[in-house]
Amino acid sequence: MGANAQTSVPVFASGEVLTAANQNLSAGTGVPVFATTVTRDAAFGGAGEKVLAEGQLAYIEATDVVQYYDGAVWATVGPATAGALVLVSATTIGNGVSTHTVNPAFSSTYDNYLITISGGVASGSVDLSLQLGATTTGYYAGYSRVNYATGSASAASNNNAASFTAIGVGTTNSLHAFVNVLSPNLAKNTNINGGYGITLAGSSSSVFAGFLNDSTQYTAFTIAPSSGTLTGGTVRLYGYANS
Amino acid sequence: MTYKVQINETVRDATPEEAAAIDAAHAEAEARAQAAADKAAAAASGRAKLVKLGLTDDEISALLGA
Repeated sequence: MGANAQTSVPVFASGEVLTAANQNLSAGTGVPVFATTVTRDAAFGGAGEKVLAEGQLAYIEATDVVQYYDGAVWATVGPATAGALVLVSATTIGNGVSTHTVNPAFSSTYDNYLITISGGVASGSVDLSLQLGATTTGYYAGYSRVNYATGSASAASNNNAASFTAIGVGTTNSLHAFVNVLSPNLAKNTNINGGYGITLAGSSSSVFAGFLNDSTQYTAFTIAPSSGTLTGGTVRLYGYANS
Repeated sequence: MTYKVQINETVRDATPEEAAAIDAAHAEAEARAQAAADKAAAAASGRAKLVKLGLTDDEISALLGA
């Protein structure tokens, strides 16, 4: 039990002497601190103790959380448990840019990442490419597409290319990308996969997967249109929690 | 041509080296698009020839898997 932990929450009767010990207990803790939820529950409602009621706060040492009582049960205020998918960065694409770099992006905190792009526009109908760091060789990927109108399939590939050339799509209506990036900061090959629907009637959906054939531990990435420029929209980078 | 590059939230003019890299990337993309268009045109031409030989669209699709 820590120095701030208490075993009762006193209440004072009319005319009762407020002792230094009482005052210290009240003023020194602010939110009452308890070793466990058991000592928390035992601290209310007894003789000379405050009646537990809606709005009561408490800090629990055992689990390092702040709780509130809603009139029926205790609920945790925080800290919020980190989710499985954690936002690492969100950057807004500028006006009329030809490349958009996020740096720093990848680190040892996460093995795997998700990049999304939404909002914004391109100056025309474009593919969006992905480059890791300053590497301009060794990109391998396959792209499988199905035409909306005909249902016919087509394919494209990167074979030792200068980037992953079609990880997203841009039109004068919008930008879209959804790319899993696996192991970019590990001393391993980086693997990617994802998909999107090209936002033009008569066009195609696309799914893809590929890898970058080196063991560089990347910390940055660059998005670029196949022609023209990008304006607006948000590039978000999420980390998949390792545990 | 002047290009703008962005690093995080900062936008600036591209250096000559960066501009050359962008030009090269655009040229490569254009070549890929042309190659894809040529491939699609060849596929359409081939399909038309198969139709002239008497195959139905379903037969051609079954044959080609597309």
